[in-house]
Amino acid sequence: MGRKRISGLIVQKIRGGEGDIIPVLRNISLFEGLTFRDLKKIELIVHKRTFMPGEVVFYERQPGTGMYIIKKGVIKLTKTIDEENAKIAELGEGEVFGEMSLLEDYPRSAQATAVEKTEALGIFRPDLFDLIERNPRLGSKILLKLSQQLANRLRKTTEMRLKEV
Amino acid sequence: MEKNEFQKLWRSFEIITIGCVLFGILLVLYLIRGLLTPFIIAFVITFFLNPVVDYMEGEGVNRTLAVIFLIVLTLIFLFVLWELTWPTIQTEISSFQKNAPSYASKIQDGLGRAMKLLEKNTGFIPEGVLQKAMQQKINDLSSGTRDIGSLLTIVKEAVRTLILSQVVVFFFLKDGRRIRKALIAYVPNKYFETFLNLIYEIDKQISNYIRGQFTDAFFVGVLTIIGLYLSGISYALFIGAVAGIVNIVPYIGPLMAFVFGSLLVFIDTGSLINIIKVVGVLGAVKLIDSMVLSPLVVGRSVNVHPLMVIIVISVGGLLHGIWGMLLSVPLYCSMRVSSRILYRGFVEYGNW
Repeated sequence: MGRKRISGLIVQKIRGGEGDIIPVLRNISLFEGLTFRDLKKIELIVHKRTFMPGEVVFYERQPGTGMYIIKKGVIKLTKTIDEENAKIAELGEGEVFGEMSLLEDYPRSAQATAVEKTEALGIFRPDLFDLIERNPRLGSKILLKLSQQLANRLRKTTEMRLKEV
Repeated sequence: MEKNEFQKLWRSFEIITIGCVLFGILLVLYLIRGLLTPFIIAFVITFFLNPVVDYMEGEGVNRTLAVIFLIVLTLIFLFVLWELTWPTIQTEISSFQKNAPSYASKIQDGLGRAMKLLEKNTGFIPEGVLQKAMQQKINDLSSGTRDIGSLLTIVKEAVRTLILSQVVVFFFLKDGRRIRKALIAYVPNKYFETFLNLIYEIDKQISNYIRGQFTDAFFVGVLTIIGLYLSGISYALFIGAVAGIVNIVPYIGPLMAFVFGSLLVFIDTGSLINIIKVVGVLGAVKLIDSMVLSPLVVGRSVNVHPLMVIIVISVGGLLHGIWGMLLSVPLYCSMRVSSRILYRGFVEYGNW
C-alpha cells in the first residue's frame, strides 16, 4: 500500500470516513473525477429522502428545485399526453432524474412516482448555488459536467430530429 | 365520501397540524425569551460573519480554523474598542449623572414659566393644574437619572453576554449547515422542496437586512462621533453611539437621534449654537448615509416601500417595544417571501 493511499485513508478516517452517501456520489457521472475532499463538501448538501410505494416525488408542472439520485428502489416517470398518463421511463439504483431543475425553476416536465420503497439522495438548487458561491473551483467543475451532459442530450435530440426529417 | 374529498380533508388536517406545531414553537420561544438574548446576539453575529467564513473556506482554509480565527479577531476588536471608548463613556455618563439635578431644575424653570403662561392665557385651565402635572413628571425624570448609575452595570452585563455568545457563534458558524439539514430532515416529502426554498429565501432576506443595517449603523455612529468631536460638542461619543445604535431602526431611528442629541445638548449648555451644530452634524451624516452609505451597504437589502417600513416598525414597536422595532422589517420581509413561495407551491401548482 503506497504512502499516498495510507495518508488518504488517514484523512478519510479524520473526516468521518466515506459513509453511505459518498460511494453513491462517486458513481454519478456529474461528480466524476472529484476528490474525496470535494465529495465530502457535496455530501453536506445532500438530503436523504425515503419514498413509500406510490408516493409522488414531484408532480408534472410543479416548479423544480433539484435532482434526485436513486440509492435504492425504483422510480417511474410519467407524462400527461392527450389527457392520458403515459409512462416514459422506469429508473433504478444509481440513476439520476430532475437534473435540469438544478439550473432553473422551470416546471417539471414529468411526474416521478416511487414504484417500491425508494431511498433517494436529493441535491437542490439553493444548496448548489450556495456551494458554488462558497467554493467556486468545485462549483465550476460541477457546472462544467452538467453543461457537458446537457450538450450531449441536445446533440442526441438534434440527431434524432435530423433522422426524422 | 369520495377519495378526492378525503385526500383534501387529510391535507387540510396536515396543514393545520403543521401550523399548530409552528405556533407551539413560537409560543415556547416567547415564553423563554428571557434566556434567548445570547442566542439572538449570536444569531446576528453569525449572519454578519458567515460570508467571511464562506469566503475563507472558498480560498481553501479549513472551516473550523476560519471560524476560530474570526472569533479571536472579533474578541480582540471588542477588547480594543472597549479599552478605547470605555473611559470616555464612563466620564460622559458620570458627568451627565452629576449634572442631572441642575438639568432637571433648568427644564423645570423653563417649562414652569411656559405652563404658567398657558394657564393664564387660555383661561379655562385652573391655575396650578398644568404646573402640578409637570412637577410630577420632572420628579420622575430626576429619579430616572439616578438610575443611570446602574447603566454601567447594564453595559458590563451586555459585554459579558456578548463574550458568552461567542461560544454559540462558534457552533452556529461551524455546524450551521449540519444543524439546518438535521432540522429540515423531518419535513414531509410533499412539502420538502417548497420548505427548502422557503428557508433559503428567508435566510437571504434576514441576512441581507441584518448585514446592511448593522454595517450602516456602524459607519453612521463613527461619522457622528467624528463630526460632533470636531464641532467641540461634549458627550460626542455618547450621542454618536446612540445615533449609531438607533440607526438600526430605519426612518424612526435617525429621528430619535435628532431629538435625543438636541435635547441632551440643550439641557447641558442651553446654547442654540450647540443645538444647531448637533442638528448640522446629524443632518450631514444622514445626507452622507442616504446618498453614499445606504445605496452601497443596504442597497442589496430588502426592497420595501418606505411607508410600509414605517407602518411595520410602528406596529412592531407597539407590540414588542425596541425588539419589535428591530425585528419587524426582517420579519415582514420573511412573511412576504413565504406567502409568495407558499402560494406558488400550494395553489398555482396544485400541491395543496
